[in-house]
Amino acid sequence: MADHDHMLLDAAERIFADLCDKAALDAAERGEFPLPLWTTLAENGFPTLAMPDSGAELGDAFALIRLAGRYAVPVPLAETLLANRWLGSADGVSSIGRVAGQQVVDVPWGRQAETVLGLDADAGAFVRVSCDPGAADVERGYNLAGEPRDALTIPSGTEWIALSEPALAFLALARACAMAGALERLLALSLQYANEREQFGRPIARFQAIQHNLAVMAGEVAAAQRAADAAVEALQGERFELEVAAAKARVGEAAGVAAEIAHQVHGAMGYTYEHQLHHFTRRAWAWRDEYGGETYWQQRLGAHVAASGADALWPFLATRG
Amino acid sequence: MLQFDRVSLPESAEALRGEVRDFLRRNAEHLSRPNADFTTGHDPEFSRKLGQQGWIGMAWPKRYGGGERSFFERYVVTEELLAAGAPVSAHWIADRQSGNLLLGVGSEAQRERYLPPITRGESYFSIGMSEPGSGSDLASVRTSARRQDDGWVINGTKLWSTDAHRNHYMIALVRTEPPSDNRHAGLSQIIIDLQADGAEIRPIRNMAGGEDFNEVVFDDVWVPADRVVGEPGNGWAQVTSELAYERSGPERFLSAFRVFVELVRAVGEAPEPAQQAAIGRLTAHLLTLRRMSISVAGMLEDGQSPDVEAALVKALGNDFEKLLPEVARLAAPGADADHGRYRRFREAFTDTLLLSPSFTIRGGTREILRGVIARGLGLR
Repeated sequence: MADHDHMLLDAAERIFADLCDKAALDAAERGEFPLPLWTTLAENGFPTLAMPDSGAELGDAFALIRLAGRYAVPVPLAETLLANRWLGSADGVSSIGRVAGQQVVDVPWGRQAETVLGLDADAGAFVRVSCDPGAADVERGYNLAGEPRDALTIPSGTEWIALSEPALAFLALARACAMAGALERLLALSLQYANEREQFGRPIARFQAIQHNLAVMAGEVAAAQRAADAAVEALQGERFELEVAAAKARVGEAAGVAAEIAHQVHGAMGYTYEHQLHHFTRRAWAWRDEYGGETYWQQRLGAHVAASGADALWPFLATRG
Repeated sequence: MLQFDRVSLPESAEALRGEVRDFLRRNAEHLSRPNADFTTGHDPEFSRKLGQQGWIGMAWPKRYGGGERSFFERYVVTEELLAAGAPVSAHWIADRQSGNLLLGVGSEAQRERYLPPITRGESYFSIGMSEPGSGSDLASVRTSARRQDDGWVINGTKLWSTDAHRNHYMIALVRTEPPSDNRHAGLSQIIIDLQADGAEIRPIRNMAGGEDFNEVVFDDVWVPADRVVGEPGNGWAQVTSELAYERSGPERFLSAFRVFVELVRAVGEAPEPAQQAAIGRLTAHLLTLRRMSISVAGMLEDGQSPDVEAALVKALGNDFEKLLPEVARLAAPGADADHGRYRRFREAFTDTLLLSPSFTIRGGTREILRGVIARGLGLR
């Protein structure tokens, strides 16, 4: 990554650190869109980072999404990044959902969006719906992390737009990266808590049972990071979708283990709403299932491997990078 | 935070991959083993053929018979051999560990004497670390080396020494001074000729029915003074510095690989969804583990000491080696499927499952590794 890209991510991290504290996450979960945060991100050009003419590498957008995952950033940043890339537009909040009948469903912050894309991955096409933010006909819903996942009606006569990129894989990669970021945060929070919390006259980090749980967690988090990075590195490659499949499956598996251990280390304290831990564990859990859960991507990857035959297994695994 | 950066294998290493595959095709008669475990295929003829290819001691200086190739090239050769189930155990320890130790801290005379025959695939080494009373707590070893005339007299018992009954030498960790308050002091590494008078080697039958590891009893075995490796008393530091090489290689996640190959063969080209998912899950794990392992290889090539990263890769890899047969077993077709494919799967599965308890014990138990990782995380 070039120096320019580091500066970009440093700038984003300062914004996230300033504007995504516990109070901001709580407010977002009450349904308040964090407008100051969004405005600051927009003023700094972050939502257009994945557009072909942005001057940045596409990988930078996924590095930004991972960083946003580390702060549980409560805006549809990944969806806006990708919608701007695919539509070539750059104004306001955009989001992306899935076409189900006459609706676009599971739309992150659909209530706030000016433009919503409805993906029909099987048909290889999108519908584009222009919206009036705050309009009454948006059905409000939430994922298990309390993040808005809304449903909108598709107006009659809406045109289908063919996909030029494997959209589902891009979106799944976005969630894999965000999960990797959230897992990094879970590990950091857990290490800090174990070193601070004292029982039996010493920090619980001194107990071997705690140490071993955290060692397992560190292994899963490291695997998640490597798996997500590998799929980002494959963005221009011919096996991109298969690498995304591996990443979404592997990171999803790691997320379940890491969230479980993070809660066990934090004890009852981490089970309170007042503690920030759940903002990260619930997102890790929720994101596992968005844009295809582990089973979906394992099946896609497994179908490819099986179709290639036993003798092609090792050559498939022994990739260059 | 532990970091596993992208490392891409260089072109030279990829070119070598094709050569190794050609070699394996030409030598298919050596590939009849049902597992990919690095400790259970002892085939001196195969080791000599590898030596002729220049694939043992590949990274060592040419003046000792080495090839002066990179650590990455060695990585490619070893992973190709393991994935194919090649019998590598005869030369494995000499190539991975003993030779590197001699290159690092051995005397010039030791390098000239021991390294060239290793590279020819003719000279094999065993590890002499564990003892009846010293497993994970390695610093408690009691085997003693006492000065006498111009040599050392060895007394004690080494345990779990793989292939000691077939190999030529053991590099043993011994006490050259009595125990003191500093329990890591007074330990030394010494090369012992396994054919020496007073060395009694008893193979130990394992639960899979094999006889690969041994109990080796030394009763007043005399060893010339020049067989001490490195500085007398520096054995502990030397042993611990070997570990990054020992722990992060492809043998730490490929031991069960043949079960995966036979699963893919057994389910055929259009398997059930649950079988697809199992294959996809194992594939995702393996792609990730291999990349992490290559990342550690990159750190070693750069001259770093990634002890914690290596322990983490080994811990993850060993757990995966145990997960693989379990996932494969539940996904595999039943006995009413194609009989030839079913039988091949069952053979690989049975063989590997019976070896699997050793995966998370040898080379540092899972518990020891988790302790190393915890230290790296600042928890102890």
